[in-house]
Amino acid sequence: MNLPHRFLCVITDDLLCPVELARMALEGGARMVQLRRKHASGRELFEWAVRIQELCGRYEAAFIVNDRVDIARAMQADGVHLGQQDLPVAAARSILGPHALIGVSVSGIDEARRAMADGAGYIGLGHIFPTCSKDKSSPPLGTGVIRDVRRAVDLPVVAIGGIGPENVSMVMDAGASGIAVISAVAGAENPSAATKELVRRIWA
Amino acid sequence: MNVTSHKLPRLHIVSSGREHLDMPGRALCQAAAIARSGPVIFQLREKGLAASSLYDIACRLRGVLDTSKSLLMVNERADIAQASGADGIHLPEDSCPLPGIRKAFPGLIAGRSVHSLGAAVEAEKSGAGYLLFGPVFATPSKERFGPPKGLDELAEVCRTVSIPVYAVGGITPERSLACIEQGAWGIAALGPFLDVEALPSTIETYRAYLPT
Repeated sequence: MNLPHRFLCVITDDLLCPVELARMALEGGARMVQLRRKHASGRELFEWAVRIQELCGRYEAAFIVNDRVDIARAMQADGVHLGQQDLPVAAARSILGPHALIGVSVSGIDEARRAMADGAGYIGLGHIFPTCSKDKSSPPLGTGVIRDVRRAVDLPVVAIGGIGPENVSMVMDAGASGIAVISAVAGAENPSAATKELVRRIWA
Repeated sequence: MNVTSHKLPRLHIVSSGREHLDMPGRALCQAAAIARSGPVIFQLREKGLAASSLYDIACRLRGVLDTSKSLLMVNERADIAQASGADGIHLPEDSCPLPGIRKAFPGLIAGRSVHSLGAAVEAEKSGAGYLLFGPVFATPSKERFGPPKGLDELAEVCRTVSIPVYAVGGITPERSLACIEQGAWGIAALGPFLDVEALPSTIETYRAYLPT
């Protein structure tokens, strides 16, 4: 599966129903949905995944599962997103095959190079700005690192971490192919409208 | 790997679940002891560990267990099982549905935990290779599954399904015999096998009550 040219990826949070959030995000123009729910059971994840995949199909958006390569494979999702603590990229690639979309979270050039060598299809780079969506002990990277990683690896870079309407243009100007958000959409009063605004700014 | 049911070992040992807490490295020590004691099923069940750590441990367990013809099962995660070369997965009742997993990972044996006759029948229909049924007796670690099922319900499950059933929950060596008499293929336990130094003799003690 190929990535869209400039796109917004909406990641599910721990509070909203993931299916409902996906529906609102897709209505608002998100081109990728990532199901991420660290404490859910396999059964819950699978049931959500089936319904989100159906929605994504209708909107021709990509659907990826965080961490759980087994679930992505069982339901033939478009791909997975892997953190540095997840299954190695090469192992995921051998399970999912050459066409699956595999994203890898990195925080710098070395991890990005390794991800590319191991078969990643895109880089999730962050956190760019301060964020409280995930426990982060390291300082934010800033937008300069987007340029550095773009120069170092020949893969699309999806920027993540503290991105909202006010700083989307900085990230895109630095060379990101897309942005990924959790709280900017899931935490918004109107997730669909928040998505629309982010997408508008991605293209501005 | 294609293991027919009658070749499954009689003893199913579950890892501590505490690799990320006070028992780091315990699973590998258990595996080393198991490797000297002959075939068992060893289930790596460490919900507190991230996938990368589980994968590392599973790969190392695979290497250690290979010499003993023991089977390695990874709890829940078919991706980690396949990538590490494990023999199969063990699915809890709230796992990703078995039919989807069977289809996506046909080379893996799929064991399943069940707590009722209905779930046992359903699991067999879905392609489970074996079942863990319990808790047969009272045990602190299984209190969340309600009161013990007892030997009669175990017997009913064993009569109804044709795949191997392992009794789980408060299974002492002496009680193993009673479970076998009710039709269980083998027994599964966690606590009795945590003491690594005593592990070979613990396994021998259980074996004395189990068919060969």
